[in-house]
Amino acid sequence: MNLREELYERLARRRGAQLGDLSPAAYAELLLAVREHPESYLDNPSDQAFLRLTQAIGRVMDSRDADEWRDDESFMEERAGRMARLRRDCERALGEAPESVDARLMSVLAADQEPDDQLDALLDLEQAVAAEQGPLSAPGSGDAWHDVFLHGRLRLLASLSRTCLDSARYRMSVDYCKTLLSLSPMDALGARHTCILSYARLEDEPGFDELDARFGRRGDSWQQLGRAVLFYKLGRMPAARRALSGFSSLCEGGPFALLRPVMVDTYLPDRPAAEPYSFAEVTLAVHEADPIICDIPDFPSWAEQQGDFAEQARSFSERSGFGW
Amino acid sequence: MVQHTIIEGTAVAYDAHREDYQRLGLRFARSLDGSDPLSATRAFSSFGRRFAQNRDSLPQSDADRAFHLVAEATALIDYELPFADDAHAEQLVDQGHHLLDEAIGLDPHCYDAIRMKSAAASPSFESYYTFLASTADDVRAVCEEERAKVADDSPERMLLGADIAMRPYYRWLATQAGKAIICGRNREAIRLGERLLELDPADSADVRFTVAIAYAKLEDETGLKRFAARTRPLMREGTRDAWMQLARISLAHKRHDIARARALLSELMASYPHALSAFTAQKELPDGVFSRLAVPPFCEDELILAVSEGTVLLQEGRDDAGRGVLGTWIVRNAALAAKVGDSR
Repeated sequence: MNLREELYERLARRRGAQLGDLSPAAYAELLLAVREHPESYLDNPSDQAFLRLTQAIGRVMDSRDADEWRDDESFMEERAGRMARLRRDCERALGEAPESVDARLMSVLAADQEPDDQLDALLDLEQAVAAEQGPLSAPGSGDAWHDVFLHGRLRLLASLSRTCLDSARYRMSVDYCKTLLSLSPMDALGARHTCILSYARLEDEPGFDELDARFGRRGDSWQQLGRAVLFYKLGRMPAARRALSGFSSLCEGGPFALLRPVMVDTYLPDRPAAEPYSFAEVTLAVHEADPIICDIPDFPSWAEQQGDFAEQARSFSERSGFGW
Repeated sequence: MVQHTIIEGTAVAYDAHREDYQRLGLRFARSLDGSDPLSATRAFSSFGRRFAQNRDSLPQSDADRAFHLVAEATALIDYELPFADDAHAEQLVDQGHHLLDEAIGLDPHCYDAIRMKSAAASPSFESYYTFLASTADDVRAVCEEERAKVADDSPERMLLGADIAMRPYYRWLATQAGKAIICGRNREAIRLGERLLELDPADSADVRFTVAIAYAKLEDETGLKRFAARTRPLMREGTRDAWMQLARISLAHKRHDIARARALLSELMASYPHALSAFTAQKELPDGVFSRLAVPPFCEDELILAVSEGTVLLQEGRDDAGRGVLGTWIVRNAALAAKVGDSR
């Protein structure tokens, strides 16, 4: 969900609660009014802090747009500058709303630490939030994501699951993903993606398969890549070759993304949205799988030797204008 | 007495020179069967000198000669090469490979030489592993055939002969298990290790070290615990080896039980001398091509070897410094643990 939309929903929900029981139609009216003039509904410090964060993230994203034209040195400099700016913005947001989980999560992410240190900080945050706000649970029999005020806590869990993966803690990563999936079965945050990569790394075929079945075997870039990795690791080479060919035929530019991985900057606050099987999606999947692929150093060169994998990578680079 | 000279003592890992000695000793002892005990003893007393100085005067087969060349190549490649400067390195490699070619010329079934040649000839871990996996059954068949031929009057010599016949296959499986981990095939590494332990319960290849690392890679706490309990009789000096300890440290770190990981690290540092420097350097050494290098248990070199093989645990995760998440954690915490140790 786009953060601006999320802000509107927060404002409408908060005003709706003040007005008492609103019919769905009345709520829809209210939401439209909020979109027209959000500033007239901004009377809560926590929403003001949220707006500040949204704007801060917007500035980071704008600055990232020009990254591909920067050389290494000016990129590093620019990146350090914008992360420092982001930290200051988080500080300000926390001044307005110290309880804001989003602001606290963002300031951990903006600190740009090694995965072990980031995990420590996120675990501390999770504990503190649980102590302040009690255990997290899905409202009724529904999905915690339906409560917009819980999004921050859910994002914290998603961030924990990815930081566990980045710090080579794959079981812990699976555990956080499972918690997230039980709180939010519709999985707006894509815990299934992190989870399936961890299962592949752990060579846990039953876990992989169960998760895949739970989501109707719909498939996506993470699942396609994870399957090839899993069978490669299990030494089932014919199955690994079939999975790889699925990956390259379904994921747009998949072979190029695997053989020429690009740097993907810190998720703020969460994984960016991407069309299923798009090049943007497979780029994210390869980036997230990087620690797992580094652990199977011959995997990319093995893939390159299969069928027309290398040819596909090259022709994609020509078609799309990326350098080879 | 004759038997004692060849059979006594259990080796740590495989020592090619010692095995060469055992092979010829065994053949020589058999050649003395039938002569009277006194002259047999007298003849055997000259064995050590003849082995060292006049090897060709001893009875031997082409396979024995080939193995001797393997032992010489091992000395060059595994033990001299790591200390050689660039100028001599190439020469040592050439010499070693020449010896291995000669060995294969004498004995086309000299699978130690074939394995060692292939280690250098393979362009990737993957291709080396594929070669090992696809040839393992042939190696087993040849070794079992050799073992079936062993005939001896003495049961001890019979056992030793049978064991020597199987060793090339044991080494093959142990190498395959190690390479399986490098290729990211940890379940396969455990399966290979278990097969080897079944064939050689004394674990002369120390494949249990490799298996411990594979369980840590799979984050299988229960599996590692069960495996540790089962291989407990193999534990040396009642102390856990560095591989098992590294596996346990890695598991504690992976479940974010930092206090436990620190305690285990201190325990490990207390059982090896100069542990801090091994952990600070975290050297990644080339694997021995004959087998894991033979070093005395619980010496500094053994820890260096274990840390090197533990690279797959240390260097995992996203880490800009290139040391890996656990590797970085160990550097930080080993220094702390050493300080605590000093102030005790």
